[in-house]
Amino acid sequence: MLETKISSRPRAGLRIGLAEVALLGSIVFAASGHLLIKEGLNVAASATMREAIGLRILAYLSQPSVFLGLCVYGIGTLAWIFAVSKREISYLFPLTALNYVVVAFGGRLLFGESIPLKRWVGILVVVCGVVLMNRSSEGRAE
Amino acid sequence: MNSMAALWASIAIGGLAQILLKRGVSGRTYFSKLPSFAWWTGLLRSGWLWAWGISFVIATGLWLVALSRIEISYAFPLLSSSYVLVAVLSKWLLNESVPASRWLAMVVICAGVILIAVA
Repeated sequence: MLETKISSRPRAGLRIGLAEVALLGSIVFAASGHLLIKEGLNVAASATMREAIGLRILAYLSQPSVFLGLCVYGIGTLAWIFAVSKREISYLFPLTALNYVVVAFGGRLLFGESIPLKRWVGILVVVCGVVLMNRSSEGRAE
Repeated sequence: MNSMAALWASIAIGGLAQILLKRGVSGRTYFSKLPSFAWWTGLLRSGWLWAWGISFVIATGLWLVALSRIEISYAFPLLSSSYVLVAVLSKWLLNESVPASRWLAMVVICAGVILIAVA
């Protein structure tokens, strides 16, 4: 109900419905999942270099952060499926470029990585494209 | 396998996977705000969803093969070409209408991704 009200207003700002929230969630969960998996793999890889591949995979999965990372990643995937059920794919898929923005900020906040000026420009351009995309569409909803 | 071929195959199959997913969830409507549990379990019986899962796994495997030889800063901006591929396929196979403003937004997003990658 809320969504219809917002969209019937003439072009006032961004249109953010449940699908857009789910999209953001899927990006943040997928990125966090990747980070957790990567961290766990770093630990497990050094310990099991010489084992057979099957044993190595078991060792990876028994790492709590790999397992947790996979679960978090799975939740992100469910959020993505939900978003896809609500919006056109040609609208949603380019919005996943927000991933680069989330990862850049995540790297800065979690690991104190600096963001060079050129990358700030790129982030700004992606965000402009995302805003354009959000405002692009009649017939966006399923 | 040639690593550039693996990269392009990964991009193409990954894009196709999104079309399969969209096809799989379309026409399974739900009338409340959130889908029911039965809606989710129903997806497990959809061939489209299985096709999506399999192509997703293949695309990820090819991506890892490609990344073992190609620098990530080179591979990442190429990944954004899949936005255009998905738009073309969605117009052709799913009859989505892609307005001019959406193509423009896509080009801007791709330009931003390239800038981020070269920075």
